[in-house]
Amino acid sequence: MAQKSAAAGKEHLIDSDEEVLQAVVLADSFNKRFRPLTTQKPRCLLPVCNAPLLDWTFESLALAGVQEIFVVCRSHASQVKKAIKDSKWSKPGSGIKIVPIMTAKETFSPGDAMRDIYTRGLVTSDFVLVMGDLISNIRIDEVVRVHKERRKTNKDAIMTMVVKESGVQHRTRIQADSAVFVLQPETSECLYYEPISGHPPTTTVRIPREVLAGHSEVEIRNDLIDCSIDICSVEVPSLFQDNFDYSDIRRDFVHGVLTSDLLMKNVYCYVATEGYAARVKDTKSYDSVSKDILSRWTFPLVPDDNHPGGHLYEQLRGNKYLPKDNSVSLARTCKIGNNTLIGASSKLGENVQVLSSVVGQNCVVDSGTTIRDAYIFDGTKIGANCTVTSSIIGAGVTILDHTYIPRGCLIADGVILGPHVTLKPFDRLTKRREAIAASSEPSKGSNEDDDQEEEDSDLDEIEAGYDAEAYPLGQGSNAVLWPQGPPEEEDEDDVENHKNLSYMRIGDDSWDPAVLDRDEDSDNESETSDEGESSDSFAYSAASSATSLPLGVPTIPTSDAIAESEFKAEVTQSLERAFAEDHSVDNAAVELKTLRMASNVPFSRVREAVVAAIVDRIKIVDGAVPQRKEIATVITRWGPLIDQIGGIDAVETISCLQLHCAQSPRLPIFGQILAALYQADFVDEDDIRAWHASPTAMGVGQPESRQENYQKCRTIGSHMIQQFDEQESEEDDDDDE
Amino acid sequence: MTHGHHHPPQPLSPEEAANQRIVEVLASKLRRRQVVGSRAAALETLLVLRQVIAKARFWNIDQLVAIIRAVGRRLVDAQPNEHAVGNTVRKVLHHIREEYHTASKGADTTATSKNYSIAKFVLQGQPRKHVTTQRSETKATLKENDAEDPDSFARGLKPVLMEAIQDVLDELETVYDNVSKNAKDHIHSDEIILTIGMSKTVEAFLKAAAHSRKYTVIVAETAHRYGGREMAKSLSSTGISTFLVPDSSIYALMSRVNKVILGAHAILANGGMFAITGSLLAVTAARAHSTPVVVCAGQFKLTPLWNLYHEYGALDFGDPSKVLGFNEGDLVDKVDVVNPYYDYVRPELIDAFITNDGDHPPSSVYRLLKETYDDEDNEL
Repeated sequence: MAQKSAAAGKEHLIDSDEEVLQAVVLADSFNKRFRPLTTQKPRCLLPVCNAPLLDWTFESLALAGVQEIFVVCRSHASQVKKAIKDSKWSKPGSGIKIVPIMTAKETFSPGDAMRDIYTRGLVTSDFVLVMGDLISNIRIDEVVRVHKERRKTNKDAIMTMVVKESGVQHRTRIQADSAVFVLQPETSECLYYEPISGHPPTTTVRIPREVLAGHSEVEIRNDLIDCSIDICSVEVPSLFQDNFDYSDIRRDFVHGVLTSDLLMKNVYCYVATEGYAARVKDTKSYDSVSKDILSRWTFPLVPDDNHPGGHLYEQLRGNKYLPKDNSVSLARTCKIGNNTLIGASSKLGENVQVLSSVVGQNCVVDSGTTIRDAYIFDGTKIGANCTVTSSIIGAGVTILDHTYIPRGCLIADGVILGPHVTLKPFDRLTKRREAIAASSEPSKGSNEDDDQEEEDSDLDEIEAGYDAEAYPLGQGSNAVLWPQGPPEEEDEDDVENHKNLSYMRIGDDSWDPAVLDRDEDSDNESETSDEGESSDSFAYSAASSATSLPLGVPTIPTSDAIAESEFKAEVTQSLERAFAEDHSVDNAAVELKTLRMASNVPFSRVREAVVAAIVDRIKIVDGAVPQRKEIATVITRWGPLIDQIGGIDAVETISCLQLHCAQSPRLPIFGQILAALYQADFVDEDDIRAWHASPTAMGVGQPESRQENYQKCRTIGSHMIQQFDEQESEEDDDDDE
Repeated sequence: MTHGHHHPPQPLSPEEAANQRIVEVLASKLRRRQVVGSRAAALETLLVLRQVIAKARFWNIDQLVAIIRAVGRRLVDAQPNEHAVGNTVRKVLHHIREEYHTASKGADTTATSKNYSIAKFVLQGQPRKHVTTQRSETKATLKENDAEDPDSFARGLKPVLMEAIQDVLDELETVYDNVSKNAKDHIHSDEIILTIGMSKTVEAFLKAAAHSRKYTVIVAETAHRYGGREMAKSLSSTGISTFLVPDSSIYALMSRVNKVILGAHAILANGGMFAITGSLLAVTAARAHSTPVVVCAGQFKLTPLWNLYHEYGALDFGDPSKVLGFNEGDLVDKVDVVNPYYDYVRPELIDAFITNDGDHPPSSVYRLLKETYDDEDNEL
């Protein structure tokens, strides 16, 4: 209260500071990384340190002074809604208003959710956008203040992204799903954003030339954890609405805004040096974030102080957390290691070892079992002499005696497994579906049906594919083993591709996928790609400081020939229209820029296309004088267009001209066009010299058939240069006299 | 419980009281560490209690006590490490009973507690201070569980309760002045004083002494929170000759120090205390040189508890980020950082407590506690 009134006193002139701070939580993951744990409930309700993930997010926001939260839920939406209704947040006195928003099933991406927010008109002022998997103690209200301050002077600063400094190698920074940020050091304006994936391995980052040219100093950082806390202005949802193809907030929206020539909007970063913020976006980060909570990085959001589930824990030396009500029954000989949390009413038998793990409430662990780096949800029973390592065991699971669960296994709710079963690393198990249908309560609600159906078809396939003979899971087991390999149809470029996802699994200890060789047992799929060479450079870039990343200059991508030819055709059409309807140069340029962005091609491509179109525009007429006149008209009218695309680069223009003339009937007038360009000041003497000396001019890298024409062009260039030289010497002579 | 025939509204149940909005708001603030420090916590608690009492509906003293205790328990559970919260609740309860006794029994209570001696101390149990100021004339009309008008009890008692709470509030507001009123008797000219951390009480104490004495203060910077830097800046700004030294030089400088003056987070029943991390270091060094150790603290820090947990650290650990940067990715996984907020200082290492209620040796803290709180409130 005191805080608020002080702030009010200071800024009483500005009404905007009095506004309620709103947050939008995208509770859905929009991916399947946690499957099969998430087949029966949404990811945001999975427990982290015995409290639902969503409660951690709410608590993080409450800590930051947020007063109104919209929760956008999609899958299992009614469960989320119910959880919010039953939680402490709906009580009077919680100080926060939480509104669940049920979005349509067709909302497949964060972008769709943003469009939904726009159509509903939920937000009225600057708001905080977070994912429903955030755990943070950063003072977001401070970031909001900085953002609003900036907005007063720069209306185009539409977004501030909160990133946390962490160093390149950090357990909480998942390498396979991170990004390189190019920042301006003084203002921390984000100039460029490039996502990094583990597979296909990102070996280079291509930074547009304009970014480097336009700023005297840039920071290229590969050591930031993207916390996905974005302070957005109200324009952000409407931008999503305008660009219906934006789906990911980072890969599409931020990348799109930063590379757009039309929007002229700025995105800033807030590099948090203090505080903690991280996302539980995959099972690997589930592991690291849980460990961060247990080792108190999230203070005051720690189990013994501010547990979002409202449990009371007592902290013992070595970050061991036991419930305060003494309901845990610990055998005399059991051992609890450091960084361990045991839920209320759980029972540990003789010689049980629990190390760096979280055990839920009402769990029973029988004698001789070892649990290491594992997460066990509520009400699970583990028999005697089992071993569970780096795995997540769902709620109400029964694991019978002598079962060995190695790293990376995910076992969904209600599975019965064993006895005497040895799983393979990264195995995933669910309950057979007849069993689910029999035990699930009828109260599940009809609006779950769609979801259920979709899941069902998936599960049918999995069940059909499971061969109980080959992989026995124990007598009386109701479990189904999920297949490991990649799904049949897969887009390698998608972040969600199978291999990339495999780097995000709990227990996957190759922090840097490219450096460490994958263990044979963890990797069923054969290595097909040519990773040897590229992985080295990735290792180099990851291990060394951020600035030594190999920087690529935009070059012509060799792939996607179809897209390119389409682009060319589009440009030609667009220019033909411009020529025919006599558009102004500016309008034509805008049209070209839009095209360029739509097809995502580098500037050089556009230049080529434009030069080609202009050259083709020149009619070939008989006689030197009318021809020269014709060329001059076209060049003066449309020449400026060349420089409107991606800035002035005369040498490249000449190269384009050469390339085009070399393969068109206008080869004979190459010299005349070049002269016209020179006359109209689009190129000057030095440019011609530079071009002439460059390897492209000599036809390096061009097919044999074009070499002759290339040489002809170059000879013309040589003549011009000779003339220049003569002129110069004449001038020199004049000077001498 | 008797009901009036016209069924007046029922009294507030303790559970309802504890779930009131203002209680909830303070509880979340305490949980989220948005209210930190003994005095701030005590003040906020008192303000909440005042509102709770003002709004409460009760027919007899037991109901009122139950309401306050329920609210107190809620707040203490929210943040067991801010001992001042519980202490304030205990103090208010003590005052409530005292006012109730005076109001209901009137002047005849004076007869019960006379000749008071150590020999009879255990038998007598609660030593009760006499409220000499007879505040109200309502004593005759105060009637519990009045069937005709059950609210008359609350109506009669509330004004005196409000006055009592105002007294506690006044005490809290003047605590620094009262602690430091005898400062010049403790600090002599040309002495060298050592202190650590940033304690408002110690700051006020040293500044008060500076009015009449010329002396030197050595402030240890108290890593990693560096409260010492702030303290040194504040002291030197008022013209006290101040040295800021790293914590590592405390022992080396101790031979020149005349007195160590510290603040406390909580004074425990055995005469020990919880104080900012580093206090144990300074106090142990002082013991090695037989340098006197004086602790300045307000009475609201007296806590009827013992240190049951860790021998050295109090049970309140912060985050490791100030000790080990989060960007030390290699180490984060492999190093366990223990970062306690407070040290536990044993009573034999302390020479005197200076409170707003006079100076006391650690051995008589238990008596202060008995005088300040009622025994039945030790467990809320």
